[in-house]
Amino acid sequence: MVDGAVADPAIADTLRKLAVVFADFEQRLEATPLIRKLTRGRFELADYHAFLINLRQQVKDGALWMSRAASNIGEDRLELRSILMKHAVTEHRDFRLLEKDFVASGGDLSDILSAKKNVGSEALSAWMFHEASKPDPFGLLGAMWVIEGLGSIKAKPWGLKVKERLGLPEDALRFLLYHGDNDVEHMEEFRDMLAMVLPDEAVAERIVTTAKVTARLYALQIEEIAA
Amino acid sequence: MSESGARLRDVYITGVGAHLPGPAVGNDRMEDHIGRVHGRDSVVGRRALRWNGIQTRHYAMAPEGAVLDTNAGMTAKAVAAAIDAAGLQIGALQHLATATTQGDYLVPGHAAAVQAELGAGPMEIASYQSVCASALMAAKGACLQVRAGEADVAVAAGGEFSSRWFRPGFYEGTALVDAKGRLTTEADFLRFTLSDGAGAVVMEPQPRAEGLSLKVDWVDLTSLAGRFDPCMWAGSTRADRADMASAWSHAGPAAAHAAGAVALLQDFELLKIVIRAWIGVWLEKVDSGRIVPDQVDHLLCHYSARSLREEIVGLLRNTAAMIPEEKWFTTLPETGNIGSASIWVMLEAFMKSGRPKPGDRVLLIVPESGRAMIGFMMLEVV
Repeated sequence: MVDGAVADPAIADTLRKLAVVFADFEQRLEATPLIRKLTRGRFELADYHAFLINLRQQVKDGALWMSRAASNIGEDRLELRSILMKHAVTEHRDFRLLEKDFVASGGDLSDILSAKKNVGSEALSAWMFHEASKPDPFGLLGAMWVIEGLGSIKAKPWGLKVKERLGLPEDALRFLLYHGDNDVEHMEEFRDMLAMVLPDEAVAERIVTTAKVTARLYALQIEEIAA
Repeated sequence: MSESGARLRDVYITGVGAHLPGPAVGNDRMEDHIGRVHGRDSVVGRRALRWNGIQTRHYAMAPEGAVLDTNAGMTAKAVAAAIDAAGLQIGALQHLATATTQGDYLVPGHAAAVQAELGAGPMEIASYQSVCASALMAAKGACLQVRAGEADVAVAAGGEFSSRWFRPGFYEGTALVDAKGRLTTEADFLRFTLSDGAGAVVMEPQPRAEGLSLKVDWVDLTSLAGRFDPCMWAGSTRADRADMASAWSHAGPAAAHAAGAVALLQDFELLKIVIRAWIGVWLEKVDSGRIVPDQVDHLLCHYSARSLREEIVGLLRNTAAMIPEEKWFTTLPETGNIGSASIWVMLEAFMKSGRPKPGDRVLLIVPESGRAMIGFMMLEVV
């Protein structure tokens, strides 16, 4: 194992605070009724459908707030603006994948298209667009840490568990299963993004606060899912 | 005894003792001791050993299952060794705090059994029961007794006799064995992880006049049981374990045994999440300044640095929270994982290793998968 020296203390400090936020977030998610059903072997097809319906809104909004955030990043951070724009392009059709999973697992397309946002999704979405509308909305890096961490750490294990429990084919689980594995590169990419805005005490604090609020609202969104 | 309002006292570990039963047993011989379910070699054993890195361990169980000692007997031997190391007699002991995963009896507590095995006179006792972290529950209890002036000599001890739970009789004829006679992984893996032994520390309000003592700076325990289902447990089946009414005592012993609710089990998917939760608590300690990694000279933990996955090591490095491997002291490969006894067995070897120097800061970390808990104890060599 390699020794623990790290280049910039400000980045290490912020990453550590973000890791603590994520640990709390993961524990809150584990304790939500929907995830309890999944880990306790009580998860039914209706739960999976409710999960997809409720995730879709946030996934659809994700690329949109990211684009808005990119458009609010000033000229002296063009590299960061590029990264956010690329992220938005990569992800802005992902909600279609959710719709396909929904149909492939026996759902009716009109059901997922006509569903309303739950209370948590409303709050999360309003929060993200509000933050993204500010000039130089660097705090949103904290939101990306939470939401992308979810994708890289939780999505695939959840997908595998849903598959095992419900016996669904892979083409009904692509959204959950296609997310990348939890790997070191994921964190190093994020560290590079932090290096574009840090060290800056106020920005660091805003990133951590934004991560906390996003995590809390995201967990609320999952708490609100009831089949 | 102090009067109320008296000042809190400093606390020192003045003696450490360990007891490991029988000879060291290598990987090739361990199944002779714990037995083979339906006479078959385990299919998961090698994988478990690769992961935990254990090469030898001790059993209070001869090949074919003859019992050499008891949990209480081993714990008492470790307590006697610790008291001897402190240069005291059993009669000086005023408070005995014990930890174990499962005592020899269901009732009464382990501390009573250990006191009886010691043949010790009247004293105050406390039994702490969980898994590995119960070691630090007992340590914190004993430490506070001395700190508050309630006791001048207190002992915290941990003992485990895991192997007797791993004998084939705990699995054969239960739902944990499939039609082909194979034991389920959630039961079998632990048979290659846990082994037997005991350890103890003596605490007093002043250091020894000669030789090294360890000043107790603080003991912190964090349980996350409100957020997780049991990760390592005995007393319920895997499927029903979140429901307290499913416990073995509700079903009755015979029905519970048949259902596979009596054996010790581990949920490995949940363990991955619990490991991240331990790391989360660790990072909080670092972030709040409670632990400054650069100021720790020696780290003792009964998990090996090498068993941490790459992404965890990456996280620790990137957050300046890694303690470099050369500062880790462990006996895990030689003594195995002895649950609540592990940390004291390691500390005993550490004190004899020539490594501790006055002024060194020694951090003990005891993670417990049980229902997600982690404990820390900060010591200073004096």
